[in-house]
Amino acid sequence: MEEIKGAIALIGYGLAAVGPGIGIGIVVGNAIQAMARQPEAATVARTTMFLGIAFTEALALIGFVLFFIA
Amino acid sequence: MMHLLAPIRLLAQVAEEPAAAEPDGIQLLLPATAELIAGLLAFAIIFFFVWKWVLPVVDKRLEARQQAITGQLVAAENIKLEAESLLTDYKRQVAGARDEANRIVDEARRTAESLRGETVTRANAEAADIVRKARDEAAGEKERAAGAIRTEVAALSMAVAEKAVAGAVDTKAHQKLVDQYIAELGALRP
Amino acid sequence: MILASEECDTAKEIICAPSNVVELFEYKHAVFSIGPLDFTRTVILIFLAMILVVGALYFAFRKPKIVPGKFGVVMESLVSFVREDVAKGTIGPDGSKYAPYLLAMFLFILVGNLFELTPFINFPLTSRMAIPLMLSVFTYLIFVGVGFSKNGMSYLWGIIWPKSVPVGLRWLVGLIEFVSYFLLRPITLAVRLFANLVAGHLMLTLLLGSGWLFFASVGDIGLRALIGLPWFAFGLLIFVFEFVVAVLQAYIFTLLSAVYIQTSVHPEH
Repeated sequence: MEEIKGAIALIGYGLAAVGPGIGIGIVVGNAIQAMARQPEAATVARTTMFLGIAFTEALALIGFVLFFIA
Repeated sequence: MMHLLAPIRLLAQVAEEPAAAEPDGIQLLLPATAELIAGLLAFAIIFFFVWKWVLPVVDKRLEARQQAITGQLVAAENIKLEAESLLTDYKRQVAGARDEANRIVDEARRTAESLRGETVTRANAEAADIVRKARDEAAGEKERAAGAIRTEVAALSMAVAEKAVAGAVDTKAHQKLVDQYIAELGALRP
Repeated sequence: MILASEECDTAKEIICAPSNVVELFEYKHAVFSIGPLDFTRTVILIFLAMILVVGALYFAFRKPKIVPGKFGVVMESLVSFVREDVAKGTIGPDGSKYAPYLLAMFLFILVGNLFELTPFINFPLTSRMAIPLMLSVFTYLIFVGVGFSKNGMSYLWGIIWPKSVPVGLRWLVGLIEFVSYFLLRPITLAVRLFANLVAGHLMLTLLLGSGWLFFASVGDIGLRALIGLPWFAFGLLIFVFEFVVAVLQAYIFTLLSAVYIQTSVHPEH
């Protein structure tokens, strides 16, 4: 039973990582586009990008925590 | 490997007593008390050090640097101004020197001109003088020569006349002949 | 780097894993104790990191030089980066008030992260939950405290009853925002750093450790050495990658702290 629980937690973490992975890709891609279009606004775009990554990544991190708790 | 990592192992010995409960993953997520205390202490020290010492020192340093740069800029500006004034000074001096040189050359030329004229006049005068003297001398010589010839001719004619008079010629005719001769001679004069 | 395979005997052809991943990160054995504080290896490393940070800063700024040396230039650019770019650039003109906190945090995390790659230490302090959690709690206290002291109760109402959202959805958005502000922010801030460093340490331990294990058992089976070398090379590649991660995570932690404080200073944005 213990092994099964661990394996399920692993799968759960894997699933939790899928969404944020796609999300971070979209965030960074659009941020790079913004920076390329308006290099003078690159600082703002970078800060916003990190903020967006942070919010998106939160889901993956919750999954990571749950993997340890489970 | 054992001997390579020996110094680490001294510090890093895993607890020898077997854990009472099976170690769980969640242990990793919970902070250990000793580490929390140590972290708090260390972070507090770093924070106060940064707050009370580092940032004021950095501020002071930046300010000093700014002042130094400002001072250097002002000094450079002053030096530039000085150099500019020196340059105009020198330019003025050079222009003055050129004028002076021109003036000197002009003056020299004028002096030379006047000297030349004077010399030429004097030389001309001298030449004329010499010519005149020579002419005078020549004239004197000629006159003297003419006088000498006249005397000679008179004497000669007298001798001739005496010879002729001794013959058939009277004194009157004789005088007439002499005068005629002298007149002819006078026409010979220059 | 392979503290886990302590009990492994390479001569016996046993490649053993630690019974639990926690063993890779936990040092229970106290080298010495002062009162209630047990000086385990991690605790000693924490104080070593503190001494390094303070020493580097002291060494760089001890003389009031106008033209700094190479080390002074590096430290000065670090300080001005955190103060100008992160603190003032993110929070705004009054960001320099938070600069000491952000700078101390940045340097502490940076040194803690780089311990992962330092020979004979090879252990990231930030992979112990204590350090990230402590710093993230500090950030949490600061941004909540600043939010309430600057904006009063309107700070809280602005979060749970957002005016810019249609009335029908307000309660839902408010709930999400509340959870995100007051629960997820501190947790994710701590866990992000922690998880990155745990993963990095695990990866390095696995790759370099198993590479070394394979390599060490060359006497027994020659094939293992052949497998071990690529492992080792891959581990060195990850080593370089982990350096980037260590610096980037310190930066992101500091930047996010600054951003969180900024959202409390100017809650409209």
